[in-house]
Amino acid sequence: MLELQHIKKSYDGVTILQNIDLEIQDGEIVSILGPSGCGKTTLLNLILGITDVDEGHIFFDEEDITAVPMEKRGFNIVFQDYALFPNLNVYQNITYGLRNKPDISTKEEVDELIRLLGLEEHLKKKIEQLSGGQKQRVALARTMVMKPKILLLDEPLSALDGVIKESIKEKIKQIARDYHLTTIIVTHDPEEALTLSDKVLIINEGKISQFGTPEEIIAKPKNKFVKDFILNQLEIKRNNIFTLFQNDIRRNLQVVNV
Amino acid sequence: MKRKEREIKIIYVYVLLVFAGFLAIPIIQLLLQSFRGDGAVGLSNYVEIISERGFLQALGNSVVVSLSAAVIATVLAFFLAYTIHYTNVNKKFKKLIRLLAVLPMLLPTITYGFAIIYSFGKQGLLTRLFGRQLFEIYGFWGLLFGYVIYTLPISFLLIFNTMGFIDKKFMVVSRVMGDKPFATFMQTVIRPLLGTLAASMVQCFFLSFTDYGIPASVGGKYEVVATVLYNEMLGSVPDFGRGAVVAMMMLIPSIISITLLHYLEKYNVRYNKISDVEIKKNYARDGVCSVVSVLILAVMLSIFAVIFVVPLVEEWPYRTNFTMEHVEAVLEDGSLFGVYKNSLFVAVCTSLLGLVTTYGAALATARSQLGQKWKGVIESIALITNTIPGMVIGIAFMLVFSGTSLQNTFLLIIVCNVVHFFSTPYLMMKNTLSKLNLSWETTAALMGDSWAKTIFRIVTPNMIPTILEVFSYYFVNAMVTVSAVIFIAGARTMVITTKIKELQYYTKFNEVFVLSLLILVTNLIVKGVLGFVINRKSKKAKKEKK
Repeated sequence: MLELQHIKKSYDGVTILQNIDLEIQDGEIVSILGPSGCGKTTLLNLILGITDVDEGHIFFDEEDITAVPMEKRGFNIVFQDYALFPNLNVYQNITYGLRNKPDISTKEEVDELIRLLGLEEHLKKKIEQLSGGQKQRVALARTMVMKPKILLLDEPLSALDGVIKESIKEKIKQIARDYHLTTIIVTHDPEEALTLSDKVLIINEGKISQFGTPEEIIAKPKNKFVKDFILNQLEIKRNNIFTLFQNDIRRNLQVVNV
Repeated sequence: MKRKEREIKIIYVYVLLVFAGFLAIPIIQLLLQSFRGDGAVGLSNYVEIISERGFLQALGNSVVVSLSAAVIATVLAFFLAYTIHYTNVNKKFKKLIRLLAVLPMLLPTITYGFAIIYSFGKQGLLTRLFGRQLFEIYGFWGLLFGYVIYTLPISFLLIFNTMGFIDKKFMVVSRVMGDKPFATFMQTVIRPLLGTLAASMVQCFFLSFTDYGIPASVGGKYEVVATVLYNEMLGSVPDFGRGAVVAMMMLIPSIISITLLHYLEKYNVRYNKISDVEIKKNYARDGVCSVVSVLILAVMLSIFAVIFVVPLVEEWPYRTNFTMEHVEAVLEDGSLFGVYKNSLFVAVCTSLLGLVTTYGAALATARSQLGQKWKGVIESIALITNTIPGMVIGIAFMLVFSGTSLQNTFLLIIVCNVVHFFSTPYLMMKNTLSKLNLSWETTAALMGDSWAKTIFRIVTPNMIPTILEVFSYYFVNAMVTVSAVIFIAGARTMVITTKIKELQYYTKFNEVFVLSLLILVTNLIVKGVLGFVINRKSKKAKKEKK
């Protein structure tokens, strides 16, 4: 279980985050959702350990890890731009961590990951030859080889287009389920957050706006921000799609009538 | 939890120590020296120098001839760059212009001077061709000619690069909006180039003003600041106090130039996107541009022709049969060939040490979490090394290291070169490093890498083209530089350029040209081989992206 208590963070006198209290259960997929500049990436960095907190504590499995350096926390991240190493091929990227910790994953486990993410045919390829979705899967595999205690994903879908997006979503869900892995995802897209995760953490102006399951958020928006920013956006999307399909339905009806 | 970055702090301290010991201390010593005269401390040296007619005359001469050279070089360079970017002349011809325009960079400036003497002098190659001497080579015209050749490549590169970043779609916009051709030209070519054109003039002025090689050979009785400085320090009656003052005076225009360059950066027009459009058909424009380009390059090449002709004939200008005897003589002469080996050694060591220093400094500024103030120190160092003329560094080194165990060592020459040429390769490194994905170090650290491992396994392999470019920059410059090393090369650490200066006294011009040829060939090989590798690497990367 990951627990954040009274977290505060500011840069150069500007408060980015304050009063962050949060509990994330093992194996949960949690999305951190909010507009740009709300502090969600900072929160991710605090959990990962790139940045120090100003006030408050972070616990993992009852242990205070506030002062534990990034490398020792055992969490891992896939960055938005994947940060794959272009001088190494796909397989070398995936197994990069094994050069430092040869025993962390067995050959079978690595092969299983490669199979799960559908990368068998790309192993010898250079990074530049891959599409966005393939890069994302390689980055996921590379991170999973390290057997992270928590998997952090920074905007994992924002660089991908339509159909690929849905398939990566499925992969992320599958990994979290199969490995019983706590997964924290940063995103600015409400649809992504609400369809991908068990719980959604909505942040606005450095504070928690609402934390709950997608159903709770849709049914009981806690405040005006959640209503205006989150729900309104989804409503517009729904109406747009509905209009599109309505025409389709009408045409179908006409065909039947004739 | 921030990474501790112990390694980067060690590198940072190393960089700082190098520049404290080999830049700050010598320059401060030089400044102090300039106040020391006749047993007293004060402004007496300054008063003495400034009240002398000779010095003021030299200063005026320097300004006039450098300014003229700067304007001419920029105009000519613009023509060459324009022909490449804005005309429909043959692609192969464009490639040839690009290649030839930068050729002078591969030779020491002192060679240009001798080449001018042997082309336009009384017995010169071109004088014989034309049947009469075209102009008086010693003095203003010789200097002007030399400076223009010297600065043309630098100006060309500046303008050529900026032109590449101009969005040519604006030409179409201007035309469909009903602009007349001249208005289009001013609005879409000249206007976005204004900053660069001014910067080019400033840069050319600075280079001409501080060069020693050209006045050393064709200056004649036309005194410039560089020759005054040389005579004060190494002339028949050396006076270090006065020399230090002249060095300080040389620093002033340099500082003004660099300040101007920084100011001019604001005038650079930035386009969001660079698009290429088909250039309008215009045979008149293409014709004029080709002819002018050919003329510029032909004059330049005709001067360099003598470097090939003179040493390869029996006895210029009397017996003009082809012979290899002069070349062979140099190669067999242990002392001359030894000098060539010294130069090679210095150039390779300069490149390696320069590589380590610039790479380290750039890592500290581009990829560490050091505070802005600490990074600012390195940025200032880069700026200062860009400002200080080679002659000033050389003289400062001479004052500080004479009598120490470093005097007359290769190490001193190598460090001097590394410091002197630090600015450009450092910026090249920093640019590339800051473009590489900034999450690599974090990602690799999460996979158990130490920082050093990440640098060797991930960052360095992705830096190869830039590393090679920096190597070649340092190598070529170390081969051709004369202004600083002339003050610190000893009898046993003689490099080619200082040897050429010595050979001038004994009027051994065959040897001068053979040695120049050696420099040219060596630089061509190094640039050629490295350029080939760099090209292949970046082409490969581009292909894969498609």
